[in-house]
Amino acid sequence: MERRKFLKIGSAGIAGALVAGSGLITWSKRAHAATINKTFYITDGTLVQPDGVGVYFRGFSDAANGLNVPGAALIVQQGDTVNITVVNTLSTTHSFVIDGVVDSGPIAGGTQAVVSFSAETPGTYAYYDSQNPPYNRLLGLHGGLAVMPSGSTNTLYAGSPTFVKQYFWVFNDIDPVWHNALAGGANPTTPFFPRYFTINGLSSRPPGAPGNGDPSVDANADPRSLLVGSIGDRSLVRMINMSLCTHSMHVHANHMEWLTLNGAIRSDIWKKDILPLYGNMGRVDAIYPFEAPPDAYPPVTTGNYPMHLHDEMTQTAGGGLYLFGTMTEIHFV
Amino acid sequence: MSSGGMCGGVANACYVYPGAPATPGIVTPDISFSRGIYMDGSITMDDGKVITIWGFTDLAVNNGMARPFPSPTIRVTEGQIVHTSLAVPGDMWVHTIHHHGIEPAWQNDGVGHISWDVQGTYIYQWRPQHAGTYFYHCHTNTVLHAEMGMYGALIVDPVPDPNDPPGTKRVFAGGPAYDVEAVWACDEIASSWHTLCWDAGTCGGDAGLNRLEADYFIITGVDGAKSALTDPRVAVNMSLGQTLLVRYIAAGYYPQRITFGGLTATVVASDGRPLPNPVSMTSIHAVAAERYDCIFTPTATGVYDVTVEFLDWVTGNTLGTARTRITVS
Ligand SMILES: [Cu+2]
Ligand SMILES: [Cu+2]
Repeated sequence: MERRKFLKIGSAGIAGALVAGSGLITWSKRAHAATINKTFYITDGTLVQPDGVGVYFRGFSDAANGLNVPGAALIVQQGDTVNITVVNTLSTTHSFVIDGVVDSGPIAGGTQAVVSFSAETPGTYAYYDSQNPPYNRLLGLHGGLAVMPSGSTNTLYAGSPTFVKQYFWVFNDIDPVWHNALAGGANPTTPFFPRYFTINGLSSRPPGAPGNGDPSVDANADPRSLLVGSIGDRSLVRMINMSLCTHSMHVHANHMEWLTLNGAIRSDIWKKDILPLYGNMGRVDAIYPFEAPPDAYPPVTTGNYPMHLHDEMTQTAGGGLYLFGTMTEIHFV
Repeated sequence: MSSGGMCGGVANACYVYPGAPATPGIVTPDISFSRGIYMDGSITMDDGKVITIWGFTDLAVNNGMARPFPSPTIRVTEGQIVHTSLAVPGDMWVHTIHHHGIEPAWQNDGVGHISWDVQGTYIYQWRPQHAGTYFYHCHTNTVLHAEMGMYGALIVDPVPDPNDPPGTKRVFAGGPAYDVEAVWACDEIASSWHTLCWDAGTCGGDAGLNRLEADYFIITGVDGAKSALTDPRVAVNMSLGQTLLVRYIAAGYYPQRITFGGLTATVVASDGRPLPNPVSMTSIHAVAAERYDCIFTPTATGVYDVTVEFLDWVTGNTLGTARTRITVS
């Protein structure tokens, strides 16, 4: 088990490096639609939480001997044909679903399936396992998919405000009682009381804490999550809340431009320092504009600021350890 | 001022960084506020239960002897250079002030743990550029300190319009004028947390801070079970023909739904920014720390009971309700 843990942490770091700012495919404008192929391996293992407790997870992983929670972020272009091969290395039944787009149906243990779809409507989607709902999804079988508008590198939808970078923030909360029941093949019988809170699979480690600054451990340093920009580096953040809990996302230093809620384009763009992330796969797309922090005196253009959830229970781990929860940073450089 | 109970000192806490450095680029302010700390306040609930409250004092009034809850309002005008001085004596451990929604330099953002946690006196310097409704709260072991009551309203008024009659109050420049104003900071209290030490959980161990078992529900420091229906700090009395501004602050952690008792709000701003187009709403679903500026122009006299439901973050079920009242005569 110890050896697997090390493998898991290593693979998470590699996934971060691959995904940051680019995703599965190179994020560059293409004149023509392409065929995108991706293989996911459904795997399981133990991930160590901030208080040292190991918790059972399952994930859509990049390798049969790895564990990625969440699965790799996919970025495709409108019109692309996407072929996803899902290899179920476990003995339990799983699936690969994007609501309104594709559903593999049950994939029995030890088998594999190919799901194919044409990317149509630009936007942000969750992919997840809909078997034994919501448990398999909560165990980590989830990830994000972006469909870019045809021929566009800098819009969310045709005519949307533009951006120069994009990120996924995939949120999940962990009740270890639930995870451990499911590891033993039983559905949980207790209410959902999450004890760990994550963004892109990681929790924060504040200054002075073991792992602080390590991108494979510390959500503040994870290049998938950490926003880095100079003034004008408008950054689209695609937020998906895999948890059962409704959350409040709070950014410091800038308000965000709120473009969509649960896949629907908002008729007006509000500037907000708080955005609602509804439970059960609530989605928000918003742009962090990287404007000079407006209320600074004297004016500043650099500095490090937090993003954290404001339902502050999420800022803990194991019932304490404030600032070991769902948080990342925003660096003005 | 007495201390915050029989709890350990700063040396025994983890991942806090006591400090009070010089404010970078400090200048003479246009307006200043002087805040201290209390950790021995209380609120008496309608059922008689007394719950310990922590908060900020106003050191400019009677040496900060009062223990107001919520903490005293910070009210400034757009464009002013503001100083919020926070004085934390040794027996009050460490705290900060984060001016929520105000976006200053990181040194003045008041986020403990990742900058410093004030011990001594630090002066937060900032200059608000956007009129609207904000709030301020402690950002040291925030999960506990904000729940303990360490927050207050922060209001940024627009620069008065020289074309307006003197005394005209607007939500933001060019925005609607109002005659009557109310601040409704809606919060749940989990009384079981209110006996914890200031540094609970910071070194690890299960302090229960992931489970907020809310058992009281308040509006602007007043019990919403009954008192807030009539308490003049919360309930609104207005005349037909007047315009009411309600600054609604979701000051708790769980989602909320506020329903205006049959009145329709024209929501003109949120989180300190005007909406491109105002929105008419008879109820608002809000998540933690959202603010909505709501304009009411009642067209009939009457008594309108306002309900704030606090919602379980998993099930959405109502955990509890706070009520206040708008009386139009
Ligand atoms: Cu505090
Ligand atoms: Cu805040």
